[in-house]
Amino acid sequence: MVHLLLEAMSDAIEEISSKDVSFADIRRESQSGNTIIVVNGNLREFKNVSKAGAVARVLVGECWGQASTTLPLSKELYEELLEEALKRARASAKYSRKNIDLSNIPSHVDKVFQKVKEDPTTVPYEEKIGIALELDKGQKIDDRVVNTNAYLMDQKRDYALVNTVGSRLEWDEIRTLSYIMSVAKEGEQTQFNVEIAGGSGGYEIIRKINPEEFSKSCASGAVELLKADKPPSGELTVILDGSMSGLIAHEVCGHASEADEVVKERSFLTGLVGKQIGTDIVTMVDDGTLKQWGGIPFDSEGTPTSRTAIIENGILQGYMHTLETSVMMGVSPTGNGRAQDYNRRIFARMTNTFFDKGDWKDEEIIEDTKDGLYVIKMTSGMEDVVGGGVQASALKGYIIKNGERTKLVRSMTLAGKVLEILKTVDAVGNTLEFDGGTCGKGEEDFIPVSSGGPHLRAKIVVGGG
Amino acid sequence: MNIREIADKLITLSQKEGADQAETYVVLAKTSSVYIDDNIPKIADVKMELGINVKFITGKKIGFTSSTLLNETPEEVVIRAKKLASLSEEDTKFVSLPEPQQVSGNRERFYDKKTANVSSDEILEKAMLVVDSTISNGITVPNGVLRASSVDYQVKNTQGIDTGSMGTQVFGYFTAKSDKDGAVGEGVQRCWSRELGNIDFAKMGTKLQAQALAVLNAEPFKAKWEDITAVLAPSEGCEMLGNLVGSACSAENVNNRSSPWTDRVGDKVAHESLTVYDNGQSENGLLSGIVDAEGFPTQKTLLIDHGVLQSYYYDSYNGNQVGLESTGNGIRRDSRDAHGSFNNLPSCASSTLEVSAGKYSVEELIGQIKKGVYIEHFAWPQVDAISGSFSNEIRNARLIENGELTTQIKYALLVGNLYESIQKEILYAKDLQVNSKRFMPTIAFSGIELVGQE
Repeated sequence: MVHLLLEAMSDAIEEISSKDVSFADIRRESQSGNTIIVVNGNLREFKNVSKAGAVARVLVGECWGQASTTLPLSKELYEELLEEALKRARASAKYSRKNIDLSNIPSHVDKVFQKVKEDPTTVPYEEKIGIALELDKGQKIDDRVVNTNAYLMDQKRDYALVNTVGSRLEWDEIRTLSYIMSVAKEGEQTQFNVEIAGGSGGYEIIRKINPEEFSKSCASGAVELLKADKPPSGELTVILDGSMSGLIAHEVCGHASEADEVVKERSFLTGLVGKQIGTDIVTMVDDGTLKQWGGIPFDSEGTPTSRTAIIENGILQGYMHTLETSVMMGVSPTGNGRAQDYNRRIFARMTNTFFDKGDWKDEEIIEDTKDGLYVIKMTSGMEDVVGGGVQASALKGYIIKNGERTKLVRSMTLAGKVLEILKTVDAVGNTLEFDGGTCGKGEEDFIPVSSGGPHLRAKIVVGGG
Repeated sequence: MNIREIADKLITLSQKEGADQAETYVVLAKTSSVYIDDNIPKIADVKMELGINVKFITGKKIGFTSSTLLNETPEEVVIRAKKLASLSEEDTKFVSLPEPQQVSGNRERFYDKKTANVSSDEILEKAMLVVDSTISNGITVPNGVLRASSVDYQVKNTQGIDTGSMGTQVFGYFTAKSDKDGAVGEGVQRCWSRELGNIDFAKMGTKLQAQALAVLNAEPFKAKWEDITAVLAPSEGCEMLGNLVGSACSAENVNNRSSPWTDRVGDKVAHESLTVYDNGQSENGLLSGIVDAEGFPTQKTLLIDHGVLQSYYYDSYNGNQVGLESTGNGIRRDSRDAHGSFNNLPSCASSTLEVSAGKYSVEELIGQIKKGVYIEHFAWPQVDAISGSFSNEIRNARLIENGELTTQIKYALLVGNLYESIQKEILYAKDLQVNSKRFMPTIAFSGIELVGQE
C-alpha cells in the first residue's frame, strides 16, 4: 500500500517539466497517537487521534508555493497539488530577486523505521490506563494537594517523501511520554509542580519510571513551594540546572543559530562564525541523532539528521540549515528543515539542542559559590533572535550562601543579553539533563524538540514573581 | 459526502454498533496564506482539511477517536471508537451528552464570504502592503505571515443535537528590524479579525516601522522601581488578564480544584473596576459561532461584575457535575489556527473574554500615572494562572514619569502578582482591540515592580 503511494507520488513529481521550476517535493504524513489523562483519580480523557495528509512544494526563483490536502490521494491529486503550488510560487516569484538552485543537493533513497524495545501500540490499553491512574493516585500525599493530574501519551508519525532530485524516502518517528502535575494549596497560596519522562522511543520509557517515587516527588515539590519565599531580584551569580541551561541553549542561542534567520541577517549571531562568543568552557550542539524527544531520522525535506556543532570552546562554529539556506551559505544541509505537519511550512528548526558537559561535579559548583541563586526546573522561555535577550522562567530555586543551599524560592525569570552571559560562564557540570517538549517559532509551528545541558554558572539578571 | 452527511453516517453507525450515546464533530477548514521573509513573499500556500471525530459511550465508558478519512473509512473509525470505549475505565463524573436546545441565528452569522473566498493574489497584495508601508532606510521586514481561514463544522449526537456553525478568521504577524550605526531594534505587530476587510494593513506597517525605530533609542534600565503602574498595550495586557481570568473561571479548573477561585462565586475577587464577560457571540470574536463544539447555543456570560465573581463558564461535562447547564463553552477550535480542531475533545475554555472600553485615550491614561512604564511588547506576556505570579522581559517600553512618556528602555523585567494587582484600581483606555480570544483595550495595573540590570 505504502509502496503504491510512493509510486504515485514519484510519477507525479517526474511529470514536472516547467522550466521555471528549480525544485519540487511531495510529502505524505500520517500521525496516530494515544492519550490518557487522569485528573483527581478520574479518567478524564482516553483518546486515539489520527490525521493524514499530503503537501506539495514548488520552488520558483526564491519563492515557494505550497498546497496540502486530506482528500484520498492518487497520482492525479498529487498533480493537482503540484499545479496549485506552482501557481502560487509563480505569483510570488514576481518579487523574487534571485534564483535558488537546489538541483545539486544530495538525493537519498532509503527506508528507516525506528527500532524500539517495546512498541507502545502492543501494550494493552488497560495497562496504560492502570499506570496513569497509579501516577495520579501517588500524588495524593497530603491534604494540601488539591489537584492531581497524570498524562500518558504515545505517538507514531509515518512519512513518505519524493523530490525532483531523486530522493525516495520512507521513515517513521515514535515518541512516548508521561507528564504529571500536582497543585497544592494552603490559605491564599496555590503552587504547582510537574515531572516529565519522555523521549524518542517506545513504552520502555514508561517502564523505567518508578510510579511511586515519580508521583511523590511531584506532589512534595508542590507542597514545598507553599512555603517558598519570593526570590531576590537583580544581577546575581546564578547556577542553572540542566533544564534551565537547556532552555537558554534552545531559546536564545538555538533560535538565533537557525540559518534562515542568518541569511536575512535578522539573527544577532550573523557574521560571528569563528568569533569567541563565550568562555572557552562553553560548547553547544544540535544533535537529531540522539534518542531524545527531538530525535528524527530525516527532516521534513528528506535530509538525514546530524550532529551540528554550534559553539565549540566558546567559538561560534556554524548554523542549522534547511536545503535552501545550505545552498545560500555554501555548506552541507544539516537536516534541520522541519515542519509541524502537512499543513505547515518548512523552515530551519532545532532537534535536540544543548550545552555540552564540562568538568565540574554539580555539587562542586554549589560548594564553590559564596553568594548566589540555584535556579531549577524551566517553565517557559521566549526567543529574541534580533537582540539576543533572554527570557527564561523557572519554577523554583535556592539561595546559595557560603557554598550551601539555604532558602527555597519560587517562580523567577532570568533576563539579560546572552552574549554577555556566555562570557561570564565559569563552571560547567559534567552531567547532561534533557527536557522534551514542543517548540514554536514566531509564536507558532510547533514541533517536538528537546533542550538540555549540564549545570552551568554565570552572572544573570533575575526577577521574581 | 458533505459534512452533514458524514455526521449523519457516523452517528447512525455508532448506534448500530451499540453506543448508549455518541457524538461526532465534522469540520472542513480551508486556509490561504502568505509568509513574508526578508521583504518578499517567501511561501504562498493553500490548504484544505476535512476532519472528523467520534465519541462512543457505553454506560460511563468513553472512547474518543479522530481521523481525516484519507486512508480509512467512517466504519473503521466508529469501530475504533467502540473498541476504545470497551477498554476504557468508567468516567465517574460523566452524566450525559447535551440535549438539543433552541438555537437562534443563521449558521453563517459569523462567516464572512469575502474572507473565506479571498484569492491568493489578494492575500499576497495585503501582506505586501504591510511590507511596503514598513520598509525604509535601515528597516526591513524579516518575518511575516498573513492568513485567512474559513471553518464549517457540524455537531451531531444521539440525544438529538444536529447543528453547526461557520466562521472566518484572519491572523497576521509581522516583525520589522531596524539597524542604525550598529544598534538593532525590532517591532512586532499582530492583527486578528473575522473579516479581512476590517484590517488597515498600511496603518499596521506604519506602526511597525515606528516601533522598530523607537527601540533603537532604548537605554538599559539600571534601577529597581517598586509599586509602580504598568500600562500594557492591548496585545500584552489582554493576554495576561485573559489567561488569569480565563483559567480561574473555567469550571473544569474549579471542579478539579486547581482554580484559586474555587467556591468563591459571590465573593469579591478583584477591585470594583474589573468587569469581565465571556461572549461566545462576540461580533469581534474569532471563535464566535451560534453553537459551541458540542452543539450547545453560545451566550454572553457575566463572569466578574465590579470585582465580584458572578459565575464560572461551563461545557456540558462540567455543568452536569454541579447541576448547571452549559454556557456554550465546549471549545475545540483555536483562534490562530483553523486546522486540527477535530483532534480535540471539547474543553471547557473561554470563547471571547471582553472588558469594556474606558473613557480615556492611551495618552490621557498615561497622563494620570505618576510613576510607571508603558509596555507595547514583552518577550511574551505570560502569567502563572495558578499563583498569579509573572516576570516578563520587556522588549519595547517607555518609562512614565509625572504623566509623561520619557526614556525608551531595554533589559528590564516587569515583575508582580496579577491576583494581587487586580485588587487595586485598574484603568482602561478606549482602544478596544481583538487579540486572539480577548476583546480588551490598553489596561493599567498597579503594585508592580520594574527590575533592571543594577
